[in-house]
Amino acid sequence: MSTIVALSRRLVLLVGLGLLAAIAFPIFLNVLRADSLPQVQLNADSIEPRPIEELTGTNVTRDYANAWRDLAQALDKNQADHLDAYFTGFAKNNFTQKISDQKTTGVHVRYVDHGHKVKAFFYSPDGGEMQLLDKAQLEIQVYDGGKLIYQEDAAQDYLVLMTPGADRWFVRSLEPIAGSSF
Amino acid sequence: MLRLVSFCLLLLMPGLAAYAELHPPAQVTAGKGFSISSTGSGDATFYLLAPGHVAKREVKLGQDIAVDPADVKKAGRYLAVACGSGGCNSAAFYVTAAEPDKVSFLLHPSRVRVRTNDAISATALVFDKFHNLVLTPVTVDFKVVPKTGPTISRQVKSNRGVAWMRMASTPKEGPVKVIAEVAKASEARVIQQVASDACNLRIKAKRTAKGVLVETDPVRDCSGNAVPDGTIVSFAEIDADGKTTVDAPIKKGIARTELPVNGSAKISVASGVVIGNEISLGGGL
Repeated sequence: MSTIVALSRRLVLLVGLGLLAAIAFPIFLNVLRADSLPQVQLNADSIEPRPIEELTGTNVTRDYANAWRDLAQALDKNQADHLDAYFTGFAKNNFTQKISDQKTTGVHVRYVDHGHKVKAFFYSPDGGEMQLLDKAQLEIQVYDGGKLIYQEDAAQDYLVLMTPGADRWFVRSLEPIAGSSF
Repeated sequence: MLRLVSFCLLLLMPGLAAYAELHPPAQVTAGKGFSISSTGSGDATFYLLAPGHVAKREVKLGQDIAVDPADVKKAGRYLAVACGSGGCNSAAFYVTAAEPDKVSFLLHPSRVRVRTNDAISATALVFDKFHNLVLTPVTVDFKVVPKTGPTISRQVKSNRGVAWMRMASTPKEGPVKVIAEVAKASEARVIQQVASDACNLRIKAKRTAKGVLVETDPVRDCSGNAVPDGTIVSFAEIDADGKTTVDAPIKKGIARTELPVNGSAKISVASGVVIGNEISLGGGL
C-alpha cells in the first residue's frame, strides 16, 4: 500500500514538474529571444573616403546589434529608457515620440528580428560620421492592446547614420527607405 | 437554385460591406497632407504607423481618409491599417523628405598649418525642415573665406544626403571661415590657420662681455607668416671646449641666446626639421 502511495506521489511530482516546464519554457524562450542580440553582418569593402579600421568595424557591428535589441525591447515594452544606451539625436527623439504615441493609443509594435546585412558606404574623413545601408529581415507585428492587427515578414532597407561616442557608436538616424532607392 | 444564390449572397453581404481596401498614394512628401481612399462601408478603426509616430482614430469606410500634415513629418515607410467588422486591411507607402532646409556641417580640424594639402575636411549633411535627410542629390556650395584674399568656392553634389570635400589650407595664417550652403540654408565654421615650419632661418652674432649674443632674424615660414612665439629654436656652438646646445623660445618673432665662446667657434641654428645658416667666429673677433 505504502509503495502505491509513494509511486502516486512521484507521478504527481513528475506531472507537476512537466506542467511547470511546459509553462516556463516558452516564457524562458521569449526572455531569451528578447535579450539575445540580432545577427548583424557588416560589409565595409566599398566604404569611402576613409577606410574602416578592423576594431571600428567590430565595434560598429556590436553597437548596431545592441541598438536593434534595445529598439525592439523599447517598442515592445513601451519603455523609452531602453533607447538611452545606443540612440541619440533624431533617431532617439523619433522613437521616444513613437513610444509616447503607443502609450496614448494602446497600439504597439513588436519586431522579431531575423538579422541585418549592413553595408557601410561612407566614413567621413575626420571619423565623425558613418553611413550604412541595412537590409533587415524583420517580422513586424502590430497590436492594439492584446489584439494582433497586422503581421508582416518584411525585408526592409534602412539608411543609418552612426556617430562615435566615448566608448561606443550611437545610432543618430534610422530611416526605413524603399528598397529601390539605391 | 435562385433561392440558393440569394441565400449565399445574403450570407456574404455583411462581410462584403465591411471589407476595406486602402489606397494611399505610392509616395508622399513629408509635411504635406493627403487622402487615403478606402473601399467598403461601415465604421472602422484607422491606424497610421510612422517611423516616429503612431495615430489611431475612427473612420467611415468607403470615404477618403484625410491624413494631416503633422502625421507625415518623418520620412520613411508608413503603414496604414483599417480594422472594421470584416477584419483588418493594410497598405504601406513611403514618405520622402521635403525640400532642403537645413545643413549640418562638420569641419575638421579646428587648427591647421598653412599650405598643407588635404589638411581640411568638410562634411555637410542636408536635411529638410523636419530633420529628414534629403536623399535626392542636391548641390552643396562650400565657400572658403580667408582673412585676406579672394573667397574660394567649390560645389559638391550630395550623395544619400551627404556631401564632403577635402582641401588644402591657404597660405596665410589667421582665421579662415568655411561655409556650407544649400538653397537658403547655410552653416559657417571657423578654422585657425597657423604658420608652418620656419623657412630661411638665419642668425647673427655679436661679442659681449660674457660670450657671444646670438639671435635670429624674425622667424617666418615659407609663406611669410610669423612662426608663433614659444616655438623652440636650438642654437649649437662648437669650440675648443666642445659642443654646447641651447634651446630658446621665440619671443616677439625672434629667438636669442648668449653662448660662452672660447676662442674660435662655429654656431649653427635649427628649429624642428629646419636647419638655418652657420656662423664661424674667429678667435680675435
